[in-house]
Parts: sequence; C-alpha cells; structure tokens
Amino acid sequence: MQKSAILGFGRYLPRNRIRIRDIAEQWSQEGLVMEKTLGIAEKTVPGHGEDTFTMAFEAATQAINISTLASSEISACFVGSESHPYAVKPTSGMLVSALTLHPFSHAADLEFACKAGTAGMQIVDSFIRSGQIEAGLAIGSDTAQARPGDALEYTAAAGAAAFVMGSAKSKHAIASMDRTLSFTTDTPDFWRANGEEYPSHAGRFTGEPGYFHHVKTALEAILETAHVSVSDIDHVILHMPNVKFPQQVLKSFGFKKEQWEHGFIVPTIGNTYSACSPLGLTYVLEQAKRNQTILLVSYGSGSGADAFLLTMLKDGKPLPVDEREKQYISYADYAVSE
Amino acid sequence: MNSPIFLTGYGQTKFGEWWDKGLRDLAEEAMTAAITNANIPSTAVDMIIVGNMIGELGSDQAHLGSLVSSLLPHHPPALRVEAACASGSVALHTACALLESNRAKTVLVLGAEKMTDASTEAIAAALMGAADSEKDRPSGLTFPGIFGLIAARYMHEYGLTREDLSLVSAVHHRQAVENPFAQFRSEISPEHISCSSPISDPLRLLDCSPITDGAAACILSTTCQSSIRIAASQLATDTLSISDRPSITSFTATQKAFQEALQEAGITRDDIACLETHDCFSIAAVINMEDLGFAECGEGIEIYRKIFENPEASPFAVNRSGGLKACGHPVGATGIKQVIDTAKYLKTTNTRFGAAHNFGGAGATCCLHILEHTAL
Amino acid sequence: MPDSSPVAHRHARQVQKNMQQGTIVSFTTVRHPPAGFPVQPRVIALITLDDASMILAPITSGAPMIGARVFPRMQLSRINENHLRLYDIAFEVLTPKSVPLDVSFPGYLLALTGPSGVGKTTISRQLVSMFATHTENVPILTTRKPKKGDDGEYKYISKKEFEIMRARGEIVAAVDLPSRSEERSYGYLATDIEAIWHKGMLPVVITEMHLLESLAMHYGRRSILSFGLLPPGRSKRAMLSALLHRLRTRGRETEEAMQDRLQNAERDLAFFKEREDLFDHLITNDNLDSVMALFQQKVPSLQEA
Repeated sequence: MQKSAILGFGRYLPRNRIRIRDIAEQWSQEGLVMEKTLGIAEKTVPGHGEDTFTMAFEAATQAINISTLASSEISACFVGSESHPYAVKPTSGMLVSALTLHPFSHAADLEFACKAGTAGMQIVDSFIRSGQIEAGLAIGSDTAQARPGDALEYTAAAGAAAFVMGSAKSKHAIASMDRTLSFTTDTPDFWRANGEEYPSHAGRFTGEPGYFHHVKTALEAILETAHVSVSDIDHVILHMPNVKFPQQVLKSFGFKKEQWEHGFIVPTIGNTYSACSPLGLTYVLEQAKRNQTILLVSYGSGSGADAFLLTMLKDGKPLPVDEREKQYISYADYAVSE
Repeated sequence: MNSPIFLTGYGQTKFGEWWDKGLRDLAEEAMTAAITNANIPSTAVDMIIVGNMIGELGSDQAHLGSLVSSLLPHHPPALRVEAACASGSVALHTACALLESNRAKTVLVLGAEKMTDASTEAIAAALMGAADSEKDRPSGLTFPGIFGLIAARYMHEYGLTREDLSLVSAVHHRQAVENPFAQFRSEISPEHISCSSPISDPLRLLDCSPITDGAAACILSTTCQSSIRIAASQLATDTLSISDRPSITSFTATQKAFQEALQEAGITRDDIACLETHDCFSIAAVINMEDLGFAECGEGIEIYRKIFENPEASPFAVNRSGGLKACGHPVGATGIKQVIDTAKYLKTTNTRFGAAHNFGGAGATCCLHILEHTAL
Repeated sequence: MPDSSPVAHRHARQVQKNMQQGTIVSFTTVRHPPAGFPVQPRVIALITLDDASMILAPITSGAPMIGARVFPRMQLSRINENHLRLYDIAFEVLTPKSVPLDVSFPGYLLALTGPSGVGKTTISRQLVSMFATHTENVPILTTRKPKKGDDGEYKYISKKEFEIMRARGEIVAAVDLPSRSEERSYGYLATDIEAIWHKGMLPVVITEMHLLESLAMHYGRRSILSFGLLPPGRSKRAMLSALLHRLRTRGRETEEAMQDRLQNAERDLAFFKEREDLFDHLITNDNLDSVMALFQQKVPSLQEA
C-alpha cells in the first residue's frame, strides 16, 4: 500500500493574547513568579466571533493554498476538537461546504481530548493508503475552556492547525507519513461531562498515570517498531499541556535542544488542546530540511497517545507571514469573551 | 395630465405618539378632516388609495384598502400601495393615474402609520424592509447605519463637518415652531444636536427623524375644482441596496424624478417658491438640495446655512413645516403631509409653484409632486 | 428575513465568492445593532472587493479608514433564538504599508494584456518611447532561460531565487506556467513598480490573465488601467490566423512552441469575454499610430503630455 504524505499545511491563531502575569494578578498570585514557574508568558484568546469552526476554516484555507490543490480535489474532512460549536451538527460538514471540498466527501467530527486532531490525521492517512481517496483534510482546532481560578486557566488557549494529505508520490508532497501507532487505555485524568461548561481534572494524577505513561509508551513503541533511535530523529514534537511535562519526557529520552526547539510553541501560545502538537508540527514543517525525520507524539486525556514518524521529502518553506499585530487584552475582556 | 387634477381638500392628525389611537382611529381622523375641508359629501369619494409601510409588522394588519373603505358608508373601491417611506406620494401618483384614465373622478388618498404599538426593536426591524434584506441586513445594519455610511462618505468627499450638519436639524426645529401639527415644536441649537447621543457615526440622535404615529389625507378630483392643481407627478426608482450603486452620496432617482416633474409641469426650478423635501436623516436633506439641482455637489449645506443665519434671505422656502425631523415621520403619511404643507404655503403666501419631494429607503424610490396655485 | 434554516442555508452559499480582499468605501459604527446581534456597537463597512463588486460587512478588527485595504475572515455573526450558529464574512483592516513619498505619483498602473503575438511588447515600447517622461516599462521577472529575440523586457533569475522572493512577499503578482519544455514562473517586483511611482511616472506592465488577476488583487482593481489587446479580424478564426502570421514573422520560436501559443491564444481571447470586469478598454492592434492616439485619449497621465 502506498504511503500518505502531507501536501499542504496551515494554521490559524487568534490575534488576541493575554499575559500569564495578568491572569495571576487577577487571582492575587505573583505574576512574574507564576510566569517563571509555568514557563509560559502569554496565551491566545479567541476574538469576538471566532470559534473552532472559523479557526479551522482559516487554517484549512491556508493548507489548501500551500498544497496548490483545487479544493474540489479533496474528498475527506476530519476535525478533532474538544470545543466543536455543536454537540450535534458537525464542524467537518460545515467545512466541506465552506471550503468547497468535493461534494462526495467523507466527513466526521472527532473527540479524544487533545489528541483528536492527530486521530484525524491517522484516519485520513489510512483513507489515502487504501486508495479510497486522493486527498483529505485533517484538522485540530480548539477554543479551550478553563474554569476561572483553576490552574488550567493559565494554559488553555485557542488555535487551529490543518493538513492536506495525499499520496507520498505526489509532486506536492512535503513530508511522508512513514509509520503511526496509538496506545489507548481508560484513565480518568481529565474529563468534561455533557452539559458541563468547564472540564474537571484529577490534579497530580494527570502526570504519571496520564501524560507520562502514555507518551512514553507510545514513543518507545514507535522507535522500536521502526528500528529507529533517538539520535536518528531530527525533530521531535510532543503534546504540550505545559512546559514541564514535555521537557521531562524529552530529557528522559535524551533529546537535545536542536531536536525539540522548533516545535516547542507552548511558551508563547499556550495549550491549544487538539491543535497543540499539530501546531508544533506546522512550525517544524516550515524549517525542516529534505530527508530529515520528524517524530510527533500527541496525548489525549481519557487516555491515549498517537505517535508518528515522518520524513521530509523536500526542504520546508515558511508559511506566509501573519501581518496582524498581536493585541493584548485585560482579564476583564478575557472573562467576557465567551 | 389630460384634465386638471385638483387638490380639493386635505386634512391630517397631529403627528406624535398616540397611545390612545390605533391605526384605524388615525385613518378615520385624517379622512374626516379631509372630507370636511373639501366640503363634499363623503359619498362623492369614488375610490380610496391607502399609503402605508408597516401595517403588517406594526399592527398585524394588511388589507388596508378594505379597512379604510369600511369607514365610509358606501365602501368605495380601495387599495393600498407600498413603497417604504415613499408610500404616501406613490399613493398620490397612483390616484393621478386613475383620475387621468377616468377610472375615478374623486379619490381619497390617505397615508397612515402606527409605529408605537410594537416594540422599538420590532419597528426598527420592520423599517429595514425598506433596504435589501439579502444584501443589507446580514451584516447587522440598521437604517441609521445605512445613512451613517452615506454621511461618512459624503464628509470624506466634500469635507462637510459635524458642526455644518447640525444646522439642518436646527433649521427644521426652528421652522416647526409655527406648525401646530408637528410632533416637536421647540427650537434646538446646533451645539445641542452635535452633542446628542451617537446612533451610527457620524449621525447622532438629533440627526434622525423620529418614530411617530399619524395620518394625512388628500382629496384629488377632476370634477371638484380648487385653487391647487397637481402640475406634475413623477416616479423614479434606483437599486434597492446602496451596495449596487456607483456613488452613495447622491440619489439618481431624485434627480430623474425632479427633471421629469419640471418637464411635465413646464417650469424650471427657479419657479419653485417652496419645497418640502425628504429629510429622513439630516444628511439626506443636504444631498437632496444637490440632487434637486438647487446647489452644486458638496454645497447642499449652504442653503441651510443661509436659512439658519437669516431665514428671510433664502430664495425659496425649504421644509417650512419642519420636515420629517421636527414634524415626525409616520412613514406612509409623510408623502401626503408634504403635499398638504406645500399647498398651505402656496395659499398663505399666494405664490404659484411648490414641490413635494418624497423618497423611500435610501433614495430607492422617489416620487415627486409639483403643485400649482392659481388664485380663484 | 425570517431567522430560519432555509434563509441561513441560502445565505451561506454566497459567502465563498465574497472571500476576497477589498478596499473600504465608507464605514459607520452602529451603536445599537438590531435584535439578535451581539449587544455591543458594530462597525460596518461598504467595501469594494477586488473583483469590483461591493459588499456590506462588519469590520472585525483593525482601525477602519476610507481607502484602507481589508482582508476577509470567516466569523460567527450571531446565534439565533433556536441556537443555530450563523456564520458570515467579516473583514480585518490590513495595517497599511507606508510608502514614503516626496513626489506625487499617479498611483495606478497601465496594464497591457493579450495573446502571444498580438504585439504587446511593440506597443509598450512605442508607448514608453513616445511618452518617455511619463511612462516606464516594468521588467518582467522570469525563471525561464533567455531566448533569441528577447530584448531587455525580462529580468532573469533562478527558480530558487524566485521562490525566496515570493515567500518574502517581494513579488506582487506571479504566475507559474507549465509548458512542454520547462515550468516557467513570471512576476513583477514590488520595488520595480514603486520605484517608477517614486519618479512620478506611470508603470506600464505587460501581463497575461493570471498576472492581471493577481495585480488586481494586490493593488486593487481600481488601481489598474487595464487594456486588452486584440488582434485584427472580425471572427475568432480570423484573429487566430492573424496571430499565427505574426508569430511566424517574428521567427522567435519552433513550430511546436507556436502551436502551444496558439492554444493559449484561444484561451486568452475567451478570457476577455469571461473577465470583462478586469478590462477598462479593449483595443484592436491593427495600426500602431491609431493605437497610440487611443492611449493618449484614454490614459489620464498622458493627456497632458
């Protein structure tokens, strides 16, 4: 079976930002101390009229432009999010229409906490490898919610990343998807019940039994089955719920700074949930060189981890520069923006 | 006109907020006043044309021809016309056509609007029906918004200032002091207007005509003579949405209708002694002066400046009644009230020609009447 | 409109075609939006899109100004009372790039478009030589190899350089044309055009359909005085045969290359009809003098010349 590859990629970040120190001061915490502890300076905040669908639309539009395919050549759309606009009425369906994808498109919405976006990539990958479609879109997009005053408030952010995928033999192919695997369990580390506005989490339990167990297991497994070692990896991107967790994993495996720095975006963006590691991947794809190997491991609470090995088929090219200026908002404006 | 059409009689309600009068009450009052003024038996009316815009949305009432006709003992044939804020003048225009074709000899033309039974939001939404529902509504525009866009562009093209614009409503309010039928009869200074609350920048509250209840009626006849005759009645139409026009700072429908009307009456604009013009928003009055050819492009405000500084210095009377701003704007009644006020002015000053300029939406429909007064 | 599904569904269909950049004609801030819209003041603009159509739409961010360029965004417009989410187009104001000027410049481009062989280069040369103090040719950047017969109208660069410049936004309009022999890219440098404006002169660009579209998107349709050049001949067949004759006389290419060009020419002629909106004037090139006279008549900068 042929391999699939990324033919185009795109991202969208809202222009609004809030500084971590401004959130901290709202709760009478010391702003600069909080910033230093978390390692995060600011996060993205959706603007008025922005939601998971509008951001996915913008990111996908960019990805389609980069791929140079006509939108009607794409016949699948899978969108992963924890904040789909509707409980019933799929974001993917709205995108098929708004992006004018092929009318006979496969489409569905996915949820698996922060790994719903990469789950979409796995599904599109197999649709292509089986020959069911020529090209498909996989998107991770989220406007993450956090209870005011909760620790997650410092990191929960908004953004979208989109990938147009097709055959690795296409002349537009940027990076081939060589191998992917997933590791899945039932682990109650973080959840949001139907009808609840904000998620709940189990504090320190989210660490070892949650993030670390799944990310490490998937990472080890993919390296082993691919007969690849850490030193063979040119770029590594992990899911980034904060700075500490991924740094700990990277250190324990012996990854060096040059390997992880390009995709490590959480310090200035925050945790964009289903878009998190996919966004990191878009930054790597801009800068990686032909023949370099990329390792991506995402994590979704509940829990599971998806791991990918990709190879660059050509030198990366930068995405068009976002010329909009960042706009810093106050906590009051942030609290009202829902 | 084949045979002269006379303005045999007229009458109106005072315009204002009438909590104890519904649409039917207002219509009846204006109708009775007009028939009395005409000094004819009510049975002489052989047809009724009603002008009204928001009967359905403001009073759950369509079918106004029948409603008004039922008020007369002999239930003459009746119909209702709608052209947004030009409904009144278009009703007159329709009456002229029926009189010219001899289908009727004496027509009661009645404009009525009830705007205070539904909520302000519902009324504002209903008034947006005068714009393009598919092109203008989805962005969240209101009617003040449409004229806000027009005013902003006009200021950009011609350098009109906020202080200049405030002269318009100031003039209208001052002139309405003498009009017992006007909703507002006290003077307001330009400074006060400039500081009123912003509605749709650059337009402020006192740039906008109000929500008003009222009715006005005219009796047009080819048989019952009077000193006032309809010398011209012309209708012109432009695109519904301003987004379909090459320019938003002038209204071609006004230009066309007035040209045709002058031609029909066989006069030039210098013969016009008084003008009632459609000032739904202050900027409209400025643009109207230019479209009607009384001022060059960008200089419409000068007429108002002259009137403000010295009322007697103006070469002709403009909105002596107080216009839509000070009289109030019960939408369907305005076009008819304008003709009534023109007739009154011509009679009291014993001058010969006057014009009533009415338009609907953002100048999408323009209907213009020229009246000739000949002392009997 | 009733706030219903069929109405929302029909409206959503035309959002795609309005996703273009544009220029603000006017704007206002509606302080009290209609029922159903979010309660805060709403900035709404009348915008001319780059395809010359006009639209009324909200401005979602940036400080609006009459004449400012705007960029389309998908936005959640409002949620109706049945919790249906209504999405619509909104525009962001692009931060203007200040072009430092100490000389007043025409602010527009003269574009000549037409099929191969119609005589664009001859005409633009003649134009620039006749009105040397008012006009200047904009060099066409290309990745193709120099050919016999080329005479200074091109700047040749490598494909790699072209891509770097394109990624940096230095190329204002670009097209990649596949052909039997090689894929060639063509474009214009922003700095070349701006330099001509700085001198107070009118840039003259020779374009084809894709470049013309890109120029219209970049500078705005109204900034381009666009001339379509037609070969003489009443019917399409006559026009194509006139072109073939010219191409053969020019003697610059192989028979195979000429057949390519002829195919493209048919498409170019169809383009004049399909995209009437991109052309201000269509001129038949049968007589150089009369064509020049026409330019003098129709180009504002040349009328004082």
